[in-house]
Amino acid sequence: MISQFFVLSQRGDNIVFRDYRGEVPKGSAEIFFRKVKFWKEDEAEEAPPVFNVDGVNYIHVKVAGLLFVATTRVNVSPSLVLELLQRIARVIKDYLGVLNEESLRKNFVLVYELLDEVIDFGYPQTTSTEVLKSYIFNEPIMVDAARLPPLGPAAMFMQGAKRMPGTAVTKSVVANEPGGRKREEIFVDIIEKISVTFSSSGYILTSEIDGTIQMKSYLTGNPEIRLALNEDLSIGRNGSSIYDYHSSSGGGTVVLDDCNFHESVHLDSFDIDRTLTLIPPDGEFAVMNYRMTQEFKPPFRINALIEEAGPLKAEVLLKIRADFSPSVTANTITVQMPVPSYTARASFELEAGAVGQTTDFKEGSKRLEWCLKKIVGGAEHTLRAKLTFSQESHGNTTKEAGPVNMNFTIPMYNASRLQVRYLQIAKKSKTYNPYRWVRYVTQANSYVARL
Amino acid sequence: MSGHDSKYFSTTKKGEIPELKEELNSQYKDKKKDAVKKVIAAMTVGKDVSSLFTDVVNCMQTENLELKKLVYLYLINYAKSQPDLAILAVNTFVKDSQDPNPLIRALAVRTMGCIRVDKITEYLCDPLQRCLKDDDPYVRKTAAICVAKLYDINAELVEDRGFLETLKDLISDNNPMVVANAVAALAEIQDNSARPIFEITSHTLSKLLTALNECTEWGQVFILDALSRYKAADAREAENIVERVTPRLQHANCAVVLSAVKMILQQMELITSTDVVRNLCKKMAPPLVTLLSAEPEIQYVALRNINLIVQKRPTILAHEIKVFFCKYNDPIYVKMEKLEIMIMLASDRNIDQVLLEFKEYATEVDVDFVRKAVRAIGRCAIKLERAAERCISVLLELIKIKVNYVVQEAIIVIKDIFRRYPNTYESIIATLCESLDTLDEPEAKASMIWIIGEYAERIDNADELLESFLESFPEEPALVQLQLLTATVKLFLKKPTEGPQQMIQAVLNNATVETDNPDLRDRAYIYWRLLSTDPEAAKDVVLAEKPVISDDSNLLDPSLLDELLANIATLSSVYHKPPEAFVSRARTAAPRPDDEEYPDGGETAYSESPSHAADAAPAPVTAAGTSAVTHAAAKQPAPPATVPAAAPVPDLLGDLMGLDNSIVPVDQPTTPSGPPLPVLLPSSTGQGLQITAQLVRRDGQIFYNIQFENNSQIVLDGFMIQFNKNTFGLAAAGPLQVPPLQPGASARTLLPMILFQNVSTGPPSSLLQVAVKNNQQPVWYFNDKISLHAFFVEDGRMERANFLETWKNLPDANEVTKDLPNAVINSVDATIEHLTASNVFFVAKRRNASKDLLYLSTKIPRGIPFLIELTATVGIPGVKCAVKTPSPELAPLFFEAMETLLK
Repeated sequence: MISQFFVLSQRGDNIVFRDYRGEVPKGSAEIFFRKVKFWKEDEAEEAPPVFNVDGVNYIHVKVAGLLFVATTRVNVSPSLVLELLQRIARVIKDYLGVLNEESLRKNFVLVYELLDEVIDFGYPQTTSTEVLKSYIFNEPIMVDAARLPPLGPAAMFMQGAKRMPGTAVTKSVVANEPGGRKREEIFVDIIEKISVTFSSSGYILTSEIDGTIQMKSYLTGNPEIRLALNEDLSIGRNGSSIYDYHSSSGGGTVVLDDCNFHESVHLDSFDIDRTLTLIPPDGEFAVMNYRMTQEFKPPFRINALIEEAGPLKAEVLLKIRADFSPSVTANTITVQMPVPSYTARASFELEAGAVGQTTDFKEGSKRLEWCLKKIVGGAEHTLRAKLTFSQESHGNTTKEAGPVNMNFTIPMYNASRLQVRYLQIAKKSKTYNPYRWVRYVTQANSYVARL
Repeated sequence: MSGHDSKYFSTTKKGEIPELKEELNSQYKDKKKDAVKKVIAAMTVGKDVSSLFTDVVNCMQTENLELKKLVYLYLINYAKSQPDLAILAVNTFVKDSQDPNPLIRALAVRTMGCIRVDKITEYLCDPLQRCLKDDDPYVRKTAAICVAKLYDINAELVEDRGFLETLKDLISDNNPMVVANAVAALAEIQDNSARPIFEITSHTLSKLLTALNECTEWGQVFILDALSRYKAADAREAENIVERVTPRLQHANCAVVLSAVKMILQQMELITSTDVVRNLCKKMAPPLVTLLSAEPEIQYVALRNINLIVQKRPTILAHEIKVFFCKYNDPIYVKMEKLEIMIMLASDRNIDQVLLEFKEYATEVDVDFVRKAVRAIGRCAIKLERAAERCISVLLELIKIKVNYVVQEAIIVIKDIFRRYPNTYESIIATLCESLDTLDEPEAKASMIWIIGEYAERIDNADELLESFLESFPEEPALVQLQLLTATVKLFLKKPTEGPQQMIQAVLNNATVETDNPDLRDRAYIYWRLLSTDPEAAKDVVLAEKPVISDDSNLLDPSLLDELLANIATLSSVYHKPPEAFVSRARTAAPRPDDEEYPDGGETAYSESPSHAADAAPAPVTAAGTSAVTHAAAKQPAPPATVPAAAPVPDLLGDLMGLDNSIVPVDQPTTPSGPPLPVLLPSSTGQGLQITAQLVRRDGQIFYNIQFENNSQIVLDGFMIQFNKNTFGLAAAGPLQVPPLQPGASARTLLPMILFQNVSTGPPSSLLQVAVKNNQQPVWYFNDKISLHAFFVEDGRMERANFLETWKNLPDANEVTKDLPNAVINSVDATIEHLTASNVFFVAKRRNASKDLLYLSTKIPRGIPFLIELTATVGIPGVKCAVKTPSPELAPLFFEAMETLLK
């Protein structure tokens, strides 16, 4: 089991350090940091999450710019430790509202108290914020959330969408509101990360959706919740290959390849009417994770072209089209395109009347970067760039450039068409009517068009 | 709310400690609490606040749980350094363990178990006994873990007090948390005990499977991992177990999923019905794939495990290759693993898709990844005969982009493809030759040169091409020189015209007279002699048909694979090494001071020992090497800058330059004449080759004194040697210098050795495993014994005072005594002199009754001293030897050495 747990800042400062078994030397945090920092001397290559130095195994994850690390001498289950580290981060965030160096330092006593309940002698005991509440006596000290950069998946709601209560993101589960009374509310977020690879001719080579239904409840008394999903939802693809698009995409039903559920979820009626019943514990947790490779309509089409225009010049044309309803707006869009390594300069030409668009040529990594504040559904945007080369190209610019990679966030849109039909809260009284927020959001995971 | 905790970090004007002391003794509770927080803050940043021990402990008697927890936290930290004071806390602990509040009861046992002080441990037993039977499950589950803590401190106490029985009873507890912790504690105790403690019967099995459904996610992992040791009686039982475990595959926690996969894979071994097995594979595939949607860290662990699973059961993910396609934003460590699995899953059916991906990756930015992608194309070509042509055309496309490292990598893999499919794809050689000038990496150059030599008869201007390389011959790295030498010989044998003849003379001259590299020189001499005596024989040797290679470079040995599969979902399955290779459970083991590192879990297969010196210098016949060899060579650590002067060069030049056919005289000036060496490989085992050898120390340096005797009927040449990992990391410091051995001849050499090159873990052992090969025979493996006295360094002398001081400072536990029945001291003075010659230095002597006592000191590398006391009666066999050292684990080896010296 794990021997030590510690949290390091990006600079390698020890923020939290707890030794559970005293079998690993004290200098482990320093050894770890040096190893991770200089994994490969000349390259900025990332260290794998699990490695062994001098008989000590170091297992780490990066959360919110911090390194959460566990050490052990024995042959543990690394996935258990990695999950545990993620969960510790989540519990701390539940308690502190925000997870960063400052909040950890301000609350170190509380953090140590939590760590003593979460892990005993290296064995995880509980990571449920709900359960922990009865053993934890320190109260969190809030850090000012307003001046902090937003963190976590829910943070995306802070941009643009006015309907979303921005404070929810950084609200502690245990601390009381300054007014004294806690607001009764529950958040259900359907977060989808989509990966699409387009071939050079625009065909979809691979596409995948990784989805999560995430819940964060601030309801007192933990009432029972019913969550109804699409009635025609089906799980598991038949046939030899789950990638056999022809056999199953018809009919408009949502077909998931696989899904899994939080342990508090009762699936008694799931097979009959696709409803989930649960008593949500406090804190943020994933009710359900799902994965889908069924064909779906990608939200953006990308057209990219690079053509030589003389021996030392080339022209780039980037076109993106938003293939979704005009009532939906995507935000914080970034389009990146690597160009040949001998590109010396790039000049850009935006379309007439372009607003909220910026362009940049990243010298170091040799890539064009095009940022758009927002794109309304149905719109199409174009960027032209002229490249100047420092040497003659080999007549292969297409092979040496690309692939184009796109990042975006689309609130109130989900590609899978998985829906929460209703969210029912077991009523305590007639007047009890807590706020319910059901929010959809789609993000690019690996959204790539090849040249 | 108590304001910002960070204020506790600020220092005050007045002395910090006295001020804190004052506050700790305040009568106001809040002030007290704040003071303890400040103390803890100071403690966490590494300040020494142990002087406040008494004051902090005084705060322990409080009803306030928050304050109590803080004091406990402090106690855990400092009790070890203040054991006498810690006893002050015992009364409160014992009282707290009977508190009406279950949280306080649990807190008391939990904390007591963390304090590794004997006096506290004594008082822990009674409270622990009570708490194991407490009414409250929170107390019981805490007590269960506490038994494991106590076992770690004092195993005997746990067994004497019957805690193991109580712990076993808790497996039937009605609270799943308690069950899970009891299982975890028992599993750990079992791991550290040689005798069976926690045996899973079919009865416990069914109980645990029931508890599984109600446990927390962590408890599920404990139980699944414990149950994976259970061997089902028959296929039916295995099927039943699997049926009850399968629902766990649906869990959101990846650890639960992987542990369930492990359990299912294990039971599948027993299941005979192919339908059931096929069905299970089908059920496991989607959850395994879903692991790749988790955080990249989990993906990495999942991929390393999937790598093993696919090797064993290739069909399980045969249709899922697309999920292993690299994503744009995957971290490099994930991409590398995905590539590996893509190669494994590549088949004639999906190769077009796969090649399209590889081609894309080969134009990305990350150089390591690009190289691996290019290699992947080559490996697919070698694996799939029908796809080889398509793979080659992709490689040619990549070469045309003219990105330097892509071209070089492509040439390396094309060489392997030529070896796999000889006389099939030579038409592309012309294209390859276009890139000749851009090659600057040794491996790529060597590969290209090999291609030119191998196909010299089909390349019209092969002589010109080789000649262009020859100009820089002296500056080339050894790898390239060796290939140039062989390629020129091939060219000469194939086209014995004037041009090549001049070239060969130049090369042989360069490679014999103007080089310091023994490998190169030896090979050149062999060629020279072959060419001058019997060109036909030279043809038979140099142009011999090469064995076909296959792409098994990254597949594991079946027995290792099975062992790793039994360890799915553990670190072992991530490193692809058996647990004993990296687990050292010694709590007391002193950490090694240097940064010696395990070969990382990266992509090395376990079976490769880190320095493959022998493989890196390929034998002439198989000059091109396989990709497996080149892989190992790339991994080989750079030779240390200060390689001791190579062993003396035999003066053979005169003989050879005259191309005299007489037997090469084995005349090595520094060859020690001495007592015969122990026989390690008798002629009967070695097909006529006898090897005798011993580790010796000469002029402050360790050598392997080794003698070869050729009793066979053939000439033996190309001797190479390699040492397996061993306790001291002994390895050859340079290549083995043995001339070709005519039948009946023998040669002796002193091979310089270095330490700490490939250190094996585990308890110290004198075992030294050696492998020797030559060009004519199979590889010979034999075992030698490391005699520690070869390590005794010259500067191990200790002054009397220093000796006494060091003796006193070492704990008594570090003293080990042994009777050496075969040792004898015939004369004190002679013995001292004899020992001094072996770097065991005299410190003092005295007489006690009829016995003589000698005090001596010696030291081994890394500054580990041995302080020795010998007691003996002069002239009578039997010496009592007591030794005190910081590394008492080496004592058995030390005694062996002493006994040898005192014979």
